[in-house]
Amino acid sequence: MSATFNKRLLVVWLVLSSMTLGYVLIDRSVDEGGTLRASAVVTVSTIVIALIKVRIIFREFMETRHAPVLLRRLTDGWVLLMALCLLGSYFVGMAVR
Amino acid sequence: MTNIAGAGSAPDEVDGRSVATDTKDGDKPAKFVPGQPDMWAFVLFETLLFTSYWVVYLIFRTQNHELFLQSQADLDLRIGVFNTIVLLSSSWSVARCVQASREGRFRAALTNAFLTIFFGFVFLVSKMFEWIKEIQMGNTFTTNEFFQHYYFLTSIHFLHVLIGFVVMGVVVYQLWSPARRSQQLVETGATYWHTVDFLWVPIFALLYVVR
Repeated sequence: MSATFNKRLLVVWLVLSSMTLGYVLIDRSVDEGGTLRASAVVTVSTIVIALIKVRIIFREFMETRHAPVLLRRLTDGWVLLMALCLLGSYFVGMAVR
Repeated sequence: MTNIAGAGSAPDEVDGRSVATDTKDGDKPAKFVPGQPDMWAFVLFETLLFTSYWVVYLIFRTQNHELFLQSQADLDLRIGVFNTIVLLSSSWSVARCVQASREGRFRAALTNAFLTIFFGFVFLVSKMFEWIKEIQMGNTFTTNEFFQHYYFLTSIHFLHVLIGFVVMGVVVYQLWSPARRSQQLVETGATYWHTVDFLWVPIFALLYVVR
């Protein structure tokens, strides 16, 4: 059982690290030469990937998947709140500039 | 506070983790809060605090897109990726520390606690190297709005990593002697360290990658 759990932690680390390396592909995907370009698609996907990573850390590394339902809902709710705040402030900011 | 030595109820295992089974619903293992609930209150509070600051950052960013994009070009994504993977590695090792301690493998738990401290140290050195690089390029706290946010966010996170060393010191102190071993304190320390890790994830995304 111990080896199984270690393997699970290893897989979690690999997934999180791969998602981080995925940013290398996203970064500069819309840039022209050395000039960085604004992109809603890049911004939204970057924020969504970051929040998926946060949820994986909550559930797997911080063990909330075995936690009482209140803590699981609180942490999931917090990730949703972060998504709402970050994406909301980005789109509201873009609309009123 | 739960003392590991001489723990009470008969343990069951969930993915290699011993969990007390004195539940009413038979086969299902008991749900448990990892560490002290107070630490979870702190985690949620800190997350709210950082989220508020990220909102401020994104609103400022949308109002001055060109400046933020130009300044962002001076950051080295490779250092950001390296730092993120180092912190993820530290989270992985502290998770292994918790698991080993739960299973009574205290030597392995200590090794993983020291590994976590090592990764934290690598992060700090790498972060200082990046700051020095930026300062040499002429990008200081007063250069522009983007770098004010950059230095503020990275330094407040840096401070959390420093506090993390104290927390990991407590974890090592707990694990060192059989008389002191408390699984709950080990889990509480690990919860703090994971928070330092997951707060960095959006900071990295917002400073280095968003467009």
